[in-house]
Amino acid sequence: MLPFILRWRFVKRLFAGLVPVVALSGCSGRQSILDPAGQDSASLLTLFWVMLAGLVVIWLLINGMMFFFHHLSPRKYDESIARKLIVGGGIVFPTVVIAALLAWGLSMMPDQRAPGDGLRVEIVGEQWWWRVAYWPDGADEPIVSANEIRLPVGRRSTFELSSAAVIHSLWIPALGGKMDMFPGRETFLTLEPTEAGTFRGQCAEFCGASHALMAFEVVTMDPEEFETWLAEEAGPAQSPEGEAAIEGADVFSAQGCGACHTVRGTEAVGQVGPDLTHVGSRMSLGAGILAPTVDNFIAWIDHTGDLKPEVEMPAYDDLPEDDLLALATYLVGLK
Amino acid sequence: MKRVLQTLATLAVLAAIAGAAIVFGGLFNVSARAGHWAITPWLLHTTFRNSVELRAPAQSEVPDLSRDGMVALGAGHFDEGCRTCHAAPGHRQSAVAAAMVPRPPHVSEIDPSWKPNELHWIVDEGVKMSGMPHWPATRTDDVWPVVAFLIEVRDMTGAEYDDLTARPEVPDDAPDGLAYCAMCHGLDGRSGNQWIPRLDIQPRAYLERTLLAYADGARSSGIMHMAASRFPETDLVELAAWFADRDPVADPATRNLDAALVEKGADLASRGTRDVPACTSCHGPKAGPRAEDFPRLAGQSERYLAQQLRLWRDGDRGGAARANLMAKSAQDLSDADIAALAAYFASLSAGGAEAEGD
Repeated sequence: MLPFILRWRFVKRLFAGLVPVVALSGCSGRQSILDPAGQDSASLLTLFWVMLAGLVVIWLLINGMMFFFHHLSPRKYDESIARKLIVGGGIVFPTVVIAALLAWGLSMMPDQRAPGDGLRVEIVGEQWWWRVAYWPDGADEPIVSANEIRLPVGRRSTFELSSAAVIHSLWIPALGGKMDMFPGRETFLTLEPTEAGTFRGQCAEFCGASHALMAFEVVTMDPEEFETWLAEEAGPAQSPEGEAAIEGADVFSAQGCGACHTVRGTEAVGQVGPDLTHVGSRMSLGAGILAPTVDNFIAWIDHTGDLKPEVEMPAYDDLPEDDLLALATYLVGLK
Repeated sequence: MKRVLQTLATLAVLAAIAGAAIVFGGLFNVSARAGHWAITPWLLHTTFRNSVELRAPAQSEVPDLSRDGMVALGAGHFDEGCRTCHAAPGHRQSAVAAAMVPRPPHVSEIDPSWKPNELHWIVDEGVKMSGMPHWPATRTDDVWPVVAFLIEVRDMTGAEYDDLTARPEVPDDAPDGLAYCAMCHGLDGRSGNQWIPRLDIQPRAYLERTLLAYADGARSSGIMHMAASRFPETDLVELAAWFADRDPVADPATRNLDAALVEKGADLASRGTRDVPACTSCHGPKAGPRAEDFPRLAGQSERYLAQQLRLWRDGDRGGAARANLMAKSAQDLSDADIAALAAYFASLSAGGAEAEGD
C-alpha cells in the first residue's frame, strides 16, 4: 500500500486546501485589506500575515503530529510523554503565543489611534448615504460634500463619526480598520494614506434594507493637489451651460429639489439629502452604486426605490422624459 | 332528562320552521307605512342611545367649538349634506324625509341632552338601519364644525340660519356650481373664515388636481368629498379655473400674528433642517420657477395651514399625485414647528413677493 501522502485521496484534499489560497490572489484591488495604501492598513496587514504564517505553522505542527502518531509510528507511548505534550502544547505554548500576539497587537494601537495632523473630516451615516464635511485646520465653516472622501497622502486625517438614526460603520479596507458610527455619540478614527489612488469604502454594520448599497469612493491625493481640489470643492456650483442644462436647472427649481438638496450659489439650501453642489465631479451616484452618467441620473430620479430599496428620496416617476433628461444633464454638469 | 331534550329539540325545529317561513315565505311586513310594533321603537332607540354612550370619544377630546367660523363651516356642510333629511331651523321638514321610518328628527328637535362628543360619534360613524350615513372620510377632525353647528342650532332662528347659508349672486359668466362653492369660499376665493382655505392664490393645476382628488376621496375630507362629488369632472375643471383666475390680494384680517413665531417659521421654511425639507423650495416665496402642482401658501389662513400640517404629519391627509412628497416632508414636524410655519406663511403678503416670483 502506498504511503498516505501519495494516495489520490490526499492529493484531492491538498488541492481543495490550496484553492482558497490561490483565490486570495484575486483579493488585490480597491477594496482589499491585502492591497494596503495607508500606514494603518499596512500594519494591520503585517499583523494579518504574521498571524496567518503562525497559523499555518501551528496547523502543520498539529496535523504533522497526528500523522506521525497515527500513521508513521502508531504504537503505545508512555503516559509521561502524553502528559508533557498536553501541558507543553496545550497550555504553555498557546499561553506564550497568545500573550506575545496580544502584546504586539496592543503595541500597534497607539499608532492606529494617533491624533490627526490637520484635516478633520466629519461624517454622518444616513439611510443609506454619507454626509461629509471637511474642516481644514482653523476653518470656521465646513466644506460640505457627500458620498465621497478625498484625503491628502502622507497626512494623518481625523474622522469624526456619528449617525443620524441607526448604527453604521465606516470601513475603507485599503486605508485602515473600521469604526462604528452611533446616533447621538461621536467616535473617532485617524487614517494616513501612503499612496495616491482610488479606493472603495463600505458600511460595515448592517443598517437596514439598503445596507449593502451604502458605499463610497475614496480618493487619496498628493497634498498640493488635494488643497487645489478642496478649494474648488468649497466654491459655489458651476452655472449651467447649454440649453439642456439651463432647462434642467429650471426643472430642479420648479420641482422643489432644493427643499432637500443644497446647490451652493443657488436658491437650493435643503439639508435633508446629499449636497449636490459638485455632484457631477463625484465618481459615483447614489452612494457608490452607480456611475455618474446622464442615463444613470435619469434612472435614479425616475425610480430611486428600485435601485436602493426603502431609500428616503421619493421616485419622480411622473416627470416627463424631457424634464428628466434636462435635469440629469444639469446635475452631471455640476462639476 | 330525555323528555326535556326531546322537547327542546322539537321547539328548536319549530323555531327554525317559523324563521324560514318569515325569511323565505315573506311573512314579515317590511312596510314603512305599517310602521313598527309598539315595543320596537323603544328597543331600537335604547340600544342606539347606549351604543353611542359606550363608544363616543372622551369629553377631553372635544375642541373649543365656539371659535370663529366653526359654526358657519358646519352650517355650510349641513345645508347641503344633512338638510335633505333633517330640515333647517324655521323650515318645514320635507314630506319625503318625514315619511322615513324611523323619521329623522327635525334639526331643531334633536335631543339637547346629546353631548358634543356623542354628536361627534353619531355624525362620524352614522347609525345602522336608520338611514343615517357615516362621515364620508377617514379623517374625522372636520366633523367638529358640524357638531359646533348642531349645538348652536338649538337657539337659532330661521333668519339666522338663512343668513349663515346664503349663496351669493353669481355673475353671468360664472361656471355651474359657483354659487354653492362661494357659500363657503366666497366668489373671489376668499371666505374670511379661518377654517376655510383661500383659493385665489392657487395655480389652476393645483386646484384642478385637488378637486379631482376630493371627488374620488383620494384627499380626505368629509366636507369637501361631499362637495366635490356633487359635480361632474368638467364642472370641477371650470370651477378650478374660476378660482385660479381671481387676483390674489393681501388680506389684512389675518395679520394679527406672533412676530417671534413668524420669525421662527421663516427660518424653518426657508432653510429646513436635516429632517425637514425647506418649504419655500416648492411652495414659495422664491425667485426661481415653481411647478403648478404645488400650492402657494403665502397669505393662506393660519388655522387652515396648521390643521393641514397636522393631518400631513399624522398621515391622515391624502391628496393628489404628489402627496407622497408632502407626507414625507411633514413626518418629523413638532407641534411648535407647525405653529411657527402656519404663522409664517399666513404673515406673507399674497399679492406681493409671491406674485413677483411667477
